[in-house]
Amino acid sequence: MSDHLRDYYDLLGLSRDATPEEIKRAYFESAQKLHPDKNKVAGETEIFLNVQQAYETLSNSTRRAQYDATLPPAAPTPSLPYEHKIIYSRRNLGKINEPQMLYAMLNLDAPQETRRASSAPLNVSLVIDRSTSMQGVKMDTVKATAIQVLRNLRPQDILSVVIFSDRAEVVIPAAYHLDRARLESRVQMIQTSGGTEIYQGLEAGAREIMRSLDPKRINHLILLTDGRTYGDEQQSLELAAKLAEQGVGISCMGIGSEWNDIFLDAISTRAGGSTNLIVEPRDINRLLLEKFDALIQTYAEDATLEFKPITGVELSRVFRIQPDPAPVPLNEGKIHLGPILQDTSTRVIFEYIIQPTEVQSGELTFMEASLKVAITSHPFPVPSLRLRLQMPVSDPSSPGAPPAEIQQALSRLMLYQMQEQAREELKKGNVEKAARHLERLATNLLTQGERSLAQTVMFEANSIKNNHSLSEEGSKRMKYGTRMLFLAPPKKELAQ
Amino acid sequence: MIICPNCQHENTNGSVFCAECGEQLDGVETLVTQAITEDQISEDLRNQAPRPEAEATPANSWLSLHLMDSGKIMPLASRNEFTLGRLSEGQPIMPDIDLTAYQAYASGVSRLHAVVKRDESNVVVMDLGSSNGTYLNGRRLTPHTEERLSHGDIVALGKLKIQILLRNI
Repeated sequence: MSDHLRDYYDLLGLSRDATPEEIKRAYFESAQKLHPDKNKVAGETEIFLNVQQAYETLSNSTRRAQYDATLPPAAPTPSLPYEHKIIYSRRNLGKINEPQMLYAMLNLDAPQETRRASSAPLNVSLVIDRSTSMQGVKMDTVKATAIQVLRNLRPQDILSVVIFSDRAEVVIPAAYHLDRARLESRVQMIQTSGGTEIYQGLEAGAREIMRSLDPKRINHLILLTDGRTYGDEQQSLELAAKLAEQGVGISCMGIGSEWNDIFLDAISTRAGGSTNLIVEPRDINRLLLEKFDALIQTYAEDATLEFKPITGVELSRVFRIQPDPAPVPLNEGKIHLGPILQDTSTRVIFEYIIQPTEVQSGELTFMEASLKVAITSHPFPVPSLRLRLQMPVSDPSSPGAPPAEIQQALSRLMLYQMQEQAREELKKGNVEKAARHLERLATNLLTQGERSLAQTVMFEANSIKNNHSLSEEGSKRMKYGTRMLFLAPPKKELAQ
Repeated sequence: MIICPNCQHENTNGSVFCAECGEQLDGVETLVTQAITEDQISEDLRNQAPRPEAEATPANSWLSLHLMDSGKIMPLASRNEFTLGRLSEGQPIMPDIDLTAYQAYASGVSRLHAVVKRDESNVVVMDLGSSNGTYLNGRRLTPHTEERLSHGDIVALGKLKIQILLRNI
């Protein structure tokens, strides 16, 4: 092998105890990326041949055993190109005859030395709703911002712009562009008309991204809309899942109050992304520029966690606290935790409910998972990190105060949860309960100094009492307002 | 099971915040709002007839709080809304008016007990779901419901009695 420091396991991104299925899958993933028909970078063909050789050796158990015998002993902890840390809400589990809860917080960081390094080039598609309702200040701000983004692009970045109503149109195709002034005039000429069919826009945007899809780029789709789509939701979700599999992230921005927050959340979180609420058209500019800043700072596009169910342990909730606060959907044992940025930790909190049958004695393994991080600008696949989370069982338990980081995160999660509970109760028709949840939320917001959000919540509590419903705008303000609290430092620190 | 000291909701063991009302259940807070009996409060209030006082307050304040046990007058200005409660160590809860110095803990004042605010024509008080309740001239208020205040009214946060002194607004 050309690089003597690397063995076959490193090359395929595997640990020494990888199962035959893992070896097979790692080989297919590498081969797809490195196939001579696809790669254009000098030297990649050689790597491809090495990958081929590695697979031939490791896929045969006799050859693998012979090869393993020649290897130096494995380093106790494989060196990973990112840092991880896990903290827990308690030190042990109680030996008690009732269910108990446990929280774990996973922190992922880019290594220190890469935090100031130049970042990977972008391959971004900006998908803009041009329906009639966007007319006026909304569309004007979108256009002005798109032009600003174009001017800020680095030469190596690729940006495509797609507009859609009931059909889509590519305003700027995905390619390197030299004459940016001409592109600006094309953006200026965008006019509003027609309805909103989000699938049309997503599909055209996805096609542009796919044309320059490259694991060494940040591949991302940004959807801007102010309306609802009808009938194509399922198609859109399937497309989002497909994009996620290809390593393409999705962010959504909903302008005003008429859009479908549940749908946009489902699309974006499926690929580890998030949705933003834009209340005032003037905020379009700030939020979109912030989104591009975050993309340029991306170190790893998506961290995915695969886990197996454990008897008596329910993973009841996963929530990403930063960089983009959003619930993480729990589907089929594989979850997208989202990107790792160069200088912001990715923090995700996990909530477990443990049944009394599992805490008889000794130690409980409550999570067995493997974490896969695809790092842009990294030539070799990164080995999966095996996580085996355990906690001793003691009698009696000595819970102790949870660490400050967990307390703070949970104090915010509690606020988000209260408005979610209100929604659930309202759906069930329990008007009284729903209103009470909101009143309590308002009280808690007041204690944290969030006066204006508290006022919105009180208004909605009254709206529930009087009309048995939430207002479109207030409902979204509560949902995205409580999410944003994760990022804000507490407005009121304790006076000492 | 952890019973929330604030709302009596039964939370799963290991919960950090009450799933019902958001009260912190575990950790630094060891003081619990002291429970006092209904009788005590009514008894105390009966003996106390409301008596408006003409106390001098700074020209810009719209409301003064007369803390009846200590005789202290607290003029309030600059905002249209004040939360009343007591500071507790290690909790990110900070009422606008901290009553710790006036025996708030012993009197059963919650960390965030009530709010007084004004609009164009009225000054109102609202209980924020406190443990021992807020009383207006001896009558217990429904939590989260605004009640209009008049000059001279006596508001009790648990056992802590405060006379409301209004300027004409």
